[in-house]
Amino acid sequence: MFEIEILFAFGLFSLGLYGVSSGRDFLRIFFSLEMLLNAVIMLLAISAHYLGFAQNIALAYMVMILATLEAAVGLLIFAAANKIAKVVSPDELEGAKDE
Amino acid sequence: MNIILLSIVILLAIGSLVIKKSVPAIISFILMMFVLGLYYINLDAKMLGLFQIFIYTGGIMVLMLFGVTIIGLEFPHAKSKPLNAIGAFVFFILISLLFLRGVDTLKLVANKNIEDVNLFSSAFSDYVIIFALIASSLLYATVKMSSTLKAKRSR
Repeated sequence: MFEIEILFAFGLFSLGLYGVSSGRDFLRIFFSLEMLLNAVIMLLAISAHYLGFAQNIALAYMVMILATLEAAVGLLIFAAANKIAKVVSPDELEGAKDE
Repeated sequence: MNIILLSIVILLAIGSLVIKKSVPAIISFILMMFVLGLYYINLDAKMLGLFQIFIYTGGIMVLMLFGVTIIGLEFPHAKSKPLNAIGAFVFFILISLLFLRGVDTLKLVANKNIEDVNLFSSAFSDYVIIFALIASSLLYATVKMSSTLKAKRSR
């Protein structure tokens, strides 16, 4: 049971990894980053529940706050990139550099 | 129950990455986080679950709606990258194998009294290579970003 739940967390992490590495547009990259961090929170919660590492819940709160801040800062960067170079994906941003 | 909730989480996560329209993708993502909150509540971490649902999901929802105002109702067309999917799958297999290999040690460490355990050496020494890989990729990203910024500044 415990092992299966951990494997689900790894699955979510891999999905996030795929989303970040494929990097199609900024919004999906944010989804994927949140998935990565949610997988970490999941791992912490599972280890706190099943293995008795109670201090991991405090770490989970910290990661959660970090994830929210990261999304806020990321979206600001996205808005700035959109305002300056009129792009919605990192690939376009790479093209804008050469222009 | 936990397995059902986690299956829904994975399906919704895939949906949020695959759906082409932005609003349904965001709804799928928000639902994923909501179900994850329910999972935490089911896992006896009630405060964490409520925090996830009310604060985290709420905050992210507002931010994502702000993103929709920029991106529009449809995601821009982009070419698919199957190599990345294969890479992520390989990562999943490798990390799962690594975990399943060391799960007995993990249980052993968990059952010991916390004072008796040298946590870093007994729990993390198997993962030093992974930590080194992550650290080196972060270093690479920093160098790459600084070179991009420098190129932009010199234009």
